[in-house]
Amino acid sequence: MKKLPVTPKEMEAIHPYIPEAFSKLEQGKISRREFLRLATLLGMHAGLATVIAACSSGGSNSSNNGNTVSNDNTSGQTTETTAPTTTSRIKRGGTWTCSMQLQLLDHPARLSWVEGANIVRQVCEYLTETGSDNITRPLLLDRWAASDDLLTWDLFLKRGIKFNNGDEFQADDVLFTFGEWLNEDIGSSMLGLLSYLDGTQSVEKIDDYQVRLHLNSPQVAVPENLFHYPAVILHRNFEGDIVRQPVGTGPFLLQEYAEAERAVFVRREDYWQNGEDGSPLPYLNQLIFVSTDKDAGVAALQSGQVDSLYDPRPGDWQALKDNPNLAVRSVGTAQSLILRMRVDLEPWNDNRVRTALKMCQDRARILQLAYFGEGDLSIDAHVAPIQPEYAEKPIPPYNPDGARALLEEYAAEKGISLPLRVTLATKNDQNEPEIAQTLKQLAEPAGFDITLDITEPNGYWARWTEVDLGITSWTHRPVAVMLLPLAYTREAIGNWNETRWVDDEFEAKLRQAQGTLDIEARRAIMSDIEDIMQERGPIGNSFWKSVWNITHRRFQNVQAHPTAYYLMADVWEDA
Amino acid sequence: MARFLVRSVISTIVTMLLVSIALFGLIEVGSGDITVKILGIESTAEQRASYRAQLGLDQSAALRYIGWLVGNDWLVRGRVGHKLVTVKNPQTGEDQWWADVDGQLTRWRMRSGELYALLRQENGSSVEVLANDGWQLDPETGTEFFWGVNDNNSAVKWVRGAGERVWVRTSAGFRQQGDGPQQYIPLRKGILRGDPGLALQTGRPVAVTLIPRIRNTAVLAGVAFIVVMPLALVLGILAGVNEGKPLDRVISVGGLAATATPEFVTGIFLILVLGIWLKEIWPGSPFKAVALFTSPDAIFRDPTLLLLPVLTLTAVELGYVARMTRASMVEVMDSAYIRTAIIKGMPYRRVVLRHAIRNALMAPITIIMLHVNWLVGGVVVVEVIFGYPGLGKYIYDSAIFGDFNAIEAAAMVTVFIAVVTRLIGDLAYTLLNPRLRYT
Amino acid sequence: MAAATSSPRTEQLSRLQRWGKTVRIIFESRVATVGLMMVLFWFLLGFISLVWTPYRPNFSDFEQNLRPNSTNWLGTDHLGRDILSRLMAGTQVILLKTRLPGDFPILGGKAIPGGVALWGVFGSLTLGSVLGLNAGYRSGWWDQIIMQLLDALIAFPQIVLYLVVIAALGQGDLVVILAITVTGAPGVARLVRSLTLDIKTRDYIRAAETRGESVWFIMFREILPNIRGPLLVDSMLRVGYAIFAIGTLGFLGIGLPPPDPDWGNMVNDARRNIFFNQWAVIPPSLAIATLVIGLNLFADGLREEINRYQK
Repeated sequence: MKKLPVTPKEMEAIHPYIPEAFSKLEQGKISRREFLRLATLLGMHAGLATVIAACSSGGSNSSNNGNTVSNDNTSGQTTETTAPTTTSRIKRGGTWTCSMQLQLLDHPARLSWVEGANIVRQVCEYLTETGSDNITRPLLLDRWAASDDLLTWDLFLKRGIKFNNGDEFQADDVLFTFGEWLNEDIGSSMLGLLSYLDGTQSVEKIDDYQVRLHLNSPQVAVPENLFHYPAVILHRNFEGDIVRQPVGTGPFLLQEYAEAERAVFVRREDYWQNGEDGSPLPYLNQLIFVSTDKDAGVAALQSGQVDSLYDPRPGDWQALKDNPNLAVRSVGTAQSLILRMRVDLEPWNDNRVRTALKMCQDRARILQLAYFGEGDLSIDAHVAPIQPEYAEKPIPPYNPDGARALLEEYAAEKGISLPLRVTLATKNDQNEPEIAQTLKQLAEPAGFDITLDITEPNGYWARWTEVDLGITSWTHRPVAVMLLPLAYTREAIGNWNETRWVDDEFEAKLRQAQGTLDIEARRAIMSDIEDIMQERGPIGNSFWKSVWNITHRRFQNVQAHPTAYYLMADVWEDA
Repeated sequence: MARFLVRSVISTIVTMLLVSIALFGLIEVGSGDITVKILGIESTAEQRASYRAQLGLDQSAALRYIGWLVGNDWLVRGRVGHKLVTVKNPQTGEDQWWADVDGQLTRWRMRSGELYALLRQENGSSVEVLANDGWQLDPETGTEFFWGVNDNNSAVKWVRGAGERVWVRTSAGFRQQGDGPQQYIPLRKGILRGDPGLALQTGRPVAVTLIPRIRNTAVLAGVAFIVVMPLALVLGILAGVNEGKPLDRVISVGGLAATATPEFVTGIFLILVLGIWLKEIWPGSPFKAVALFTSPDAIFRDPTLLLLPVLTLTAVELGYVARMTRASMVEVMDSAYIRTAIIKGMPYRRVVLRHAIRNALMAPITIIMLHVNWLVGGVVVVEVIFGYPGLGKYIYDSAIFGDFNAIEAAAMVTVFIAVVTRLIGDLAYTLLNPRLRYT
Repeated sequence: MAAATSSPRTEQLSRLQRWGKTVRIIFESRVATVGLMMVLFWFLLGFISLVWTPYRPNFSDFEQNLRPNSTNWLGTDHLGRDILSRLMAGTQVILLKTRLPGDFPILGGKAIPGGVALWGVFGSLTLGSVLGLNAGYRSGWWDQIIMQLLDALIAFPQIVLYLVVIAALGQGDLVVILAITVTGAPGVARLVRSLTLDIKTRDYIRAAETRGESVWFIMFREILPNIRGPLLVDSMLRVGYAIFAIGTLGFLGIGLPPPDPDWGNMVNDARRNIFFNQWAVIPPSLAIATLVIGLNLFADGLREEINRYQK
């Protein structure tokens, strides 16, 4: 074992849990990524944590995350390189154009869509930043420190950062912004996230560069919450409309914003971060977002009229992936299209019928037909491999005979004859119709006769919790214990529990998992939770979607982010 | 003539009124709960009901129609007791409603059970003063109430001591608020006074977005018209004069094929072939696959953006107008006076140029005016394909969302264009054809 | 009174003769013959598809996005479905069957014969004839009011009316039929009105009036049968427009609901993949174009022949 740059004692000084986590890394019980995440969360400098992790002998480097996929194209272009760029190669200047829908924008704290956050984040910045590797690092913060009981968090601000109106970034700005988040009149989704703070009196200014948070319950994910997309830091005199008053510490200046039309940014000259060539970032001179629909966006990207397309759909990916001018970067997510059954209604109240339908999923085929194979196969539980507490399970095979046997048993008992007629409802905005049509066909030999009821998205969202059998899209959550209580508990009935499924053992385990900081212990509990969901749960889940960042090859330092964030400060154009 | 003109204009106005009622009624009957689309699927029934009331959707359809058409400030004035006026918000440039209380622009707000008046100052900000003396007694129930203008451009009724719990939409988030009014009447000037209301999708006035969209569509349709018409008339005349000959067959069949190919097919193949494939072998090609507006006046800075949309419209419209012209030309060439002229020994070329064409163009010109209607339809599809930010795409997007304020305003614009061009067509026809009696 | 006195047999004969005449008229015109053949081709394909298609049209039995090959003559689409089978089945919703919504009385969830385009045109013929006959025959206020209403309907650009109707009523076969009916009726009514104005001055109408026949009898038994020629030609063209409109709506993503294939939807699905599979766009586009051209040619030829015949 190599010599560590810090002793266990020094680690303990940062946070008592770090030495324990390190020994787990040594034994190979957690991956390097998990260690990095935990150590940085608990206040260790990301650089230091990386060095320590590199010194460890154990730990698999499991990263299905942030891979750069190189294009194997026929014209023999050089493949995408991930090697760090050298200073001499970096060029300044240029314009980057992107196709992305633009809606109404006013108060950043109220943002409820990522597109808007992608606009705001060019002008304003966050206290922390979660990179494509899912590790959160300080951004406007210099560092943070948590007390042993995780009830007091100290935020230390970087010094010398200037807003684009010339004012210095100080604790007052942080206090003001926390005030906006915690102000009920603003209506920020941060309010729910920061439920561990009791209003603004929980946010204490120690001096101009230090802010202390007093929590009413232990919370490990404070730094991650500070990168929730509405959480940009605003100037202390902000009046409520970022379009009229585009003041922030970020690398670009907002020149024009017209909803449903376009947004134009120009480079800021005195940004606080320096590039690799020693001058201030950003490298690019101009960013233009043009609001078009996705189909037009694909054509525009193909013909070189835009350089990137926000959040491409699978079909767009397929159309664009072989274009020699474009670099496609993919990243796995915890987003999925869930086949969900109402357990309070016939025939789905019988677990044999539910299990039979789950057996009818030929997961690889569904992934291929609906998502061109771009994703990770899943078990029938709402826990994704990229979530830290996921316990690995074998992928269930396609088993129409087994399903048929179960259905025949059910039918004999009920005195009905097969095929069993059911209606599958879903919407047509992502690739749900493809899943539905493939499933209909896969389930036919098992004795299901599925009628499809496909509507436009609003038609489905108006009744998504009510239909007997449906396919619902669920978005990415960084950890599984954040999602499961939303959809599979007694309290969630009447809210997002679309299946009405309630299971005492499941709920007890879930509560236990929520209170377990130790990732290995949490994974052991999660293993049981996954088994319960697979055995008697209300959902089928064939795959986890991948998302892509597709950008012209000229642009370097581009990252694919699991939630499709555009981080443009150090992107440069190799013209 | 004057009588004919007056009659046509009156008939046009009646038509517009009927259309507006039909449009309003249709959306009234059919549209689902718009609040689900605005507030999102997570919203509760209580939130939706509260928001419906704030949109004024609990008023009767007739009242809403009147408000939509001519505004409702004059109807509400009696309740508030003051003249209601609009002032431009200095920040956004959008209209704000205020009550004119003896020269002082005022709004009201209720907080913790107390009524406050907001007095507008010269610089656009406002000063808040307690205004509990404004309460009026309702003799029947014994409660005190107040009608005023709130800070969301609605006339509202507060009842003292009975603050409603209401859900207020704050662009994206949605929060609950006490002290809410019991009744809302969103104030508007009405479409006839230039206010089509707020777009439900963006929360900004429809007019702000609609005007540049109309301009963009006018440019596209105008250029297409200028390209198509002369070409179509020439082809039609050539075919008509050469009836039955190979040239006629080529033009007729080609025209039919072009017309029968849906514009969306033509459009996507033009994108593929000229916009993308050609670009790969000739990087300097002027064709742009998509009409991308990187600035508000992009079409003027870079007119090549118009190339493919105009080409698509041309492909579709050319055949239709050419076939019309041909038919008219054939009819004229067949007529007795042309045959007489030819038999008389007049040079064929002169007969065609001086007599036949003039008469043959009469029919196509009126048809062309009617055809503007068709052009508007074609423009919708073309704009959707090329992502062209015009009126057609606006209607399409609004229809998909169910944004009724936007659909109504935009559809009325298209109807207005159609009706007026037909009026002009009628007038042109009467002027060109002196034999027509004005009845 | 001629019909009443003549025996059933002679009437039948004369009807047969009339049919024969009509058929002769069609085949005398080369244009009409070609048009009819094109239309019949699609009808035939549609009928065959009711009982047999090469593969199952709604099932992904093959690889995705195959080019035309010996198994799949027209290739496969983005879900690995056989395009030829889908193309054949696509005729059904347009020409052969209409799917009723699940909550429709009695026949809920079932399909009735006659495609959406045909029912739509039938609807506009019915509505348009009633309005046109009343306006033309009764004149006066009837005429004024009806024409004013029609002017209002005509003022809508068709596609805008479709969008508004669908925004208001949602998607579905019946909604599309309704939209076609409403957009088509004004044109039919204007045609019927002008033909009625011409015919009502004829002697046999006067005779019927003196007999004291009711207004409705005169309109529907005396006038309507005598204007069916031009009306027939017009409806041929209208079926063409309707098919076009259904295709456009399908392309805009708001046409006939899945899963049954519809040519417009097929084009829309295929255009998303056009950058790597151009083949899938062509068959449904050609299908729409040829059917519309066929109807146009048939109508043109028929009109020319009728005109010649009348001269």
